[in-house]
Amino acid sequence: MATTNLRSEMREKSGRDSDRMDKDGDDRSKKGSFHRKKVCRFCSDQDFILDYKDVRMMQSFVTEHGKIVPRRISGNCALHQRELTTAVKRARNLALVGYVSMGA
Amino acid sequence: MTNATAAKLAGYETTFITRSELSDDGLKALHDRLAQVVSSYGGEVVLTEDWGKRKLAYTIQKENRGHYTYLVYSGKGDIVHEIERNLRLHDHVLRFLTVNLEKEFDSAAFQKKRADVHAAAKRREEEREARREERNAERRGYEDRRTDYQDESEDMSVVESDEE
Repeated sequence: MATTNLRSEMREKSGRDSDRMDKDGDDRSKKGSFHRKKVCRFCSDQDFILDYKDVRMMQSFVTEHGKIVPRRISGNCALHQRELTTAVKRARNLALVGYVSMGA
Repeated sequence: MTNATAAKLAGYETTFITRSELSDDGLKALHDRLAQVVSSYGGEVVLTEDWGKRKLAYTIQKENRGHYTYLVYSGKGDIVHEIERNLRLHDHVLRFLTVNLEKEFDSAAFQKKRADVHAAAKRREEEREARREERNAERRGYEDRRTDYQDESEDMSVVESDEE
């Protein structure tokens, strides 16, 4: 999932993209690329609490390889991204989230 | 620390993983020991949670599963040293992590907050469940239709073979 995100991000940057629809189905205008405004989920939803003990929450900000998803993709604000990195690292220490991908 | 601030203790949370083969009695003995340490250092056990046996994200000391226990307590800084020393000495403890929560810890507020977190998690889980149920129902609808269609096509082929 995250890798496809990354790819689309890269495509946006290169600007030499033939199809004008991105994966969310947003129509990009002819002038420049359309950019959907991403919002920080921790800021917008008070119920969504950042906690290193919450594995479910953590997994949405970690790729299947165990990497932390960068801010430009997840859309987190700087404050929460900083807090998230420490949370993920704590969870890794407790074997709740992996350091590297398992298996193949 | 002066006497004026002695009333306000700092809060700490420790999560530790024990081997899954450790018996309930053994775990309870460890609990009692830690509780004793906390009380002897003038602290207070605020909350203990048993997360049960979970699969570890990676193997630790050749173990794939571990029993998680979450402990919140208040006390002065030296309490952490003693708790961690006890955990380090214990053969069945695979790993532990202590986090400093607050300098001036309010146990009642923390318990309330933790309960809120649990309630929110449960609510979200229920929502997810409902959505999954909905999706499953939808898919079942599709499948019914598809099987109908397949039945028809089979009938057709049968008819054709008869013609031949």
